[in-house]
Amino acid sequence: MSAPPTAVLAQDALAQSIQGTIDVPPIQYAALSPIIIVFGVALAAVLIDAFASARTRRLLQPPLAAVGFAVAFVAVVLLHGRRQILAAGAVAIDSPTLFLEGAILLFAFLAVLLVAERRLDSSGGAIVASAAVTPGSPGATAARTSAAVQTEVYALMAFSVAGMLLFVSANTLLVMFVALEILSLPLYLLAGLARRRRLLSQEAAMKYFLLGAFSSAFFIYGLAFLYGYAGSVDLGRIADAAGTATANDTYLYLGMALLGIGLFFKIGAVPFHSWTPDVYQGSPTPITAFMAAGTKVAAFGALLRVFYVAFGGLRWDWRPTVWTIAIMTMVVGAVLALTQRDIKRMLAYSAIAHAGFLLTGLAAANSDGLRGSLFYLVAYGFTTIAAFGLITMVRTADGEASDLSQWQGLGRRSPVLAGIFAFLLLALAGIPLTSGFTGKFAVFQAAVAGNATPLVVVALVTSAIAAFFYVRVIVLMFFQEPVMDGPIVVTRPTLTYAAVGIGAIMTLLLGVAPQPLLDLAGTAATSGFVR
Amino acid sequence: MNAAILVQAAGEFTRTSGGEAATFWVLAPVAVLAALGMVLARSAVHGALLLVVNLFCLAVFYLLQDAPFLGFVQIIVYTGAIMVLFLFVLMLVGVDSADSLVETLRGQRMAAIVLGAGFAGLLVFPIGGVISGTKAAGLAAANNGGNIQAIARLLFTDYVFAFEIVSALLIIAAVGAMILAHRERAGGKITQKEMLRRRFAAGGPVTPVPGPGVYARPQAADVTPALPPASDDPGHPGDSGDSAGGDADSPHPVGAGKGAAR
Repeated sequence: MSAPPTAVLAQDALAQSIQGTIDVPPIQYAALSPIIIVFGVALAAVLIDAFASARTRRLLQPPLAAVGFAVAFVAVVLLHGRRQILAAGAVAIDSPTLFLEGAILLFAFLAVLLVAERRLDSSGGAIVASAAVTPGSPGATAARTSAAVQTEVYALMAFSVAGMLLFVSANTLLVMFVALEILSLPLYLLAGLARRRRLLSQEAAMKYFLLGAFSSAFFIYGLAFLYGYAGSVDLGRIADAAGTATANDTYLYLGMALLGIGLFFKIGAVPFHSWTPDVYQGSPTPITAFMAAGTKVAAFGALLRVFYVAFGGLRWDWRPTVWTIAIMTMVVGAVLALTQRDIKRMLAYSAIAHAGFLLTGLAAANSDGLRGSLFYLVAYGFTTIAAFGLITMVRTADGEASDLSQWQGLGRRSPVLAGIFAFLLLALAGIPLTSGFTGKFAVFQAAVAGNATPLVVVALVTSAIAAFFYVRVIVLMFFQEPVMDGPIVVTRPTLTYAAVGIGAIMTLLLGVAPQPLLDLAGTAATSGFVR
Repeated sequence: MNAAILVQAAGEFTRTSGGEAATFWVLAPVAVLAALGMVLARSAVHGALLLVVNLFCLAVFYLLQDAPFLGFVQIIVYTGAIMVLFLFVLMLVGVDSADSLVETLRGQRMAAIVLGAGFAGLLVFPIGGVISGTKAAGLAAANNGGNIQAIARLLFTDYVFAFEIVSALLIIAAVGAMILAHRERAGGKITQKEMLRRRFAAGGPVTPVPGPGVYARPQAADVTPALPPASDDPGHPGDSGDSAGGDADSPHPVGAGKGAAR
């Protein structure tokens, strides 16, 4: 501009901004409804926390969250078959996305049942009464037995679920980054809300927060490189740019590597796994279940989208790295699980090993691999929620009996519970007639078809190692004498029964009659991600 | 640090005027030194202040590179608001509370330095190689119609969804801070009636006891004050006053209307 007096310049700018025509992009609210519903639930939960009495909050929050997730699930079902890009390119919905969103909402619903359980002991459940009370301070004992609950847990869960939904449907890296933060920040807080063993819980939250922030930094660093490379944060545009040969491929590869670190951290792949055991152990067990199922689906969904959509043309470049990471993840997860004495830590290492098995589906880099991964995620989610739910029911006077030695002989005293747990462990090991077998079969078959046979061999060997420690727990429960003053199995928890029951039944159903879900995953995978 | 190097490298190839170059070469070393100092400073307050210096230098670079909005937002939001908040928190926690510098894992620091340097090298050399061959596009096209207007346009079109959902992060942060810091009163506020009931139930003197150094039970001026008690029980000055002063027949309660409650 030339140099008019400042006042005139300001007036000009003002006039321009008033009359200026910004074509506001259409926001397709109907197609975004699952995300909007869950955000709405979160905001309503925050308002209830702000204004309602403590008693009302305790009564109102769990049903609100559960109904909210159920309604959002219905919205996802109603959207089936939709395939479009929404909100000025920010969000994409397509069949794989809706599949993953549905899975996340189902797992969130089950997790709410576990979190809302208040009949495990005389106190108010697994969630702390007041997180601000310092462990060891005079009020801490009272807080442990108090009936009060930090009801904000439901608002945080709703926010986290909204973040997960957005994470799997983000069509630009920027939205994906914001979604990553929306899903992670509540999880950092939730990890620190265990009612018992407060210091362990706070340590878990702290570790998760620091390492998570670190990995987010990697993610956004990679995002910056990819923007520098493609001039856009849009996944499709990055793919277009990657398709045309340019001089500064360095940006592309650096960006891909750094972005990958952020995503591999979230799924708990080796060498970015070190947070998993500590966080799984320290978090309140219902939250661990939520994290193990929901976060895994969300992070894997985002990983699949990024690698299939944005880097789909570069699969020959990223496949060796994914191979390496998958092998390391499987081996480290299975071997370290062998050495664990704590049942939650053991399941955490098992989760790491499962991330490795899931990565074989990605390494297959074909539509069958996508199908297998989608199925595997759902199967694993149900099993893991049921397993963690079951752990909450085996208790001593100090809370959950998390040490493996306390589980000795449990099968003699509570055969039903121990039987279900044994079944879930067999499903995690991948024994036929369980969902774990079907999932592994689908993924490995795709990997063989995708010329990744060596990877499948490693996966089979590590599956055998993993089976050893699952079977060891079963032997411990059924073939050893019960210990004196062993844990008690709580008999009244209706909500936990419901969640564990649904999880176990789905594990059985998906093992015996997997075809409907496999077909659904297959249809989703063939239609693929929208660009 | 990497950002500073990026700016440094970018500066060489977008040099437009002598003034800009001079500013850059003066501020770039300051920015790098401040960033290094921030990492190496023992005291957290020094670290925070050095970060202010670094962020301020970057803000000036943004201004030099035709991004006035970013530059001023950097100064107002980062160096102004966020760093001041940071210092507040440091002061709340206590300036003297330093991190323990004992290595819990042996060789961890050495490994961190080696790996960190390796990672930096991995990033810096390829980027340097790429940047030296790239011509800067400049911001003229992006700033068409004014810098702020262009940003507003992007914010309300391409990035409107991201812009809206960031609000969720702010709510989460507020809720999270409240969860970690806010303690609800256990069992509601105690009423005055309950407080009195408790005092009677506990036994002991019901009314406030006289302040220290008062040994007389009555307040009247014609009564001789008691001598200091022989016993060293400061809790019941009136009792010891009884024996010493001999005014056992006094109708007044112990320390009536005097001093504070024990």
